[in-house]
Amino acid sequence: MEFEDAPRQHYSETEKQGIFNNEFMPHIHSMYNFGYRLTLDRDDAKDLVQDTYLKAYRFIESFQKGTNAKAWLFRILKNSFINDYRKKSKEPSKVDYQEVETYYNSEEVDRQITPDLRVESLKDMIGDEISNALNSLDVDFRTVIILCDLEGFKYEEMAKILDIPIGTVRSRLHRARNLLKEKLKSYAKSMGYNNA
Amino acid sequence: MATSQNPFIQADGKKPTCMEMLQTILDGEATREQKDYFKQHMDGCMPCYKEYNVDMAIKELLKAKCCGGNCPEGLVEQIKAKVNSTIA
Repeated sequence: MEFEDAPRQHYSETEKQGIFNNEFMPHIHSMYNFGYRLTLDRDDAKDLVQDTYLKAYRFIESFQKGTNAKAWLFRILKNSFINDYRKKSKEPSKVDYQEVETYYNSEEVDRQITPDLRVESLKDMIGDEISNALNSLDVDFRTVIILCDLEGFKYEEMAKILDIPIGTVRSRLHRARNLLKEKLKSYAKSMGYNNA
Repeated sequence: MATSQNPFIQADGKKPTCMEMLQTILDGEATREQKDYFKQHMDGCMPCYKEYNVDMAIKELLKAKCCGGNCPEGLVEQIKAKVNSTIA
């Protein structure tokens, strides 16, 4: 549960309550959105967020006051999702990223054709297109987009939250952005933009 | 103004591709110097200019449509009540 190898802290009950209320609770809306985007179900998201906060309180002495509470909480939520929720939901196993990431890291990548999407067609996406496109991505690709584009985490923070090397964060983000663009391109086409 | 030296060049001296520079910008990892350099680079690189505008529009759309607003009413109180019951 520890974010880094920080020494175990010793807090009084008052200090614990202070950290919980002042450092953890302000992130509740971002946490709920993350939970929802992972589970795609509002009730499951609520349970996941609740479990995460209870775990955060239980392991509060692993958290060093004044450090990156948001990243620490996101990491607990992500782990709870993988360990508790994903097992129950019988979600299909992950795609093999090794292949994707080897591909990205090869010289071939610069010759990759990216979807030709136009800003004008994106401006007409005023409904749920972007949300549906994001939700349709495999959960690991969805996660890096949420962490980077919605929450503004840096590579280093994402690497810690996801327990993966920074190079993998970068390559996964690259792949995720291309997949998202492919989805948006097909929406644009269905909206009548033939040369999306 | 942008410097003549490409600030995206890493310690190993490898020249970055357009896509690598663009990704650093999109991922929010670029320094001020790198942002300035890329801005000037786009003046002479149409594919980068087009791709940058599309990618930034997607980022803005994601922020506007997928941030989800607030958590359900009562969740904060429920969590606080559960935490308090574990202390008691």
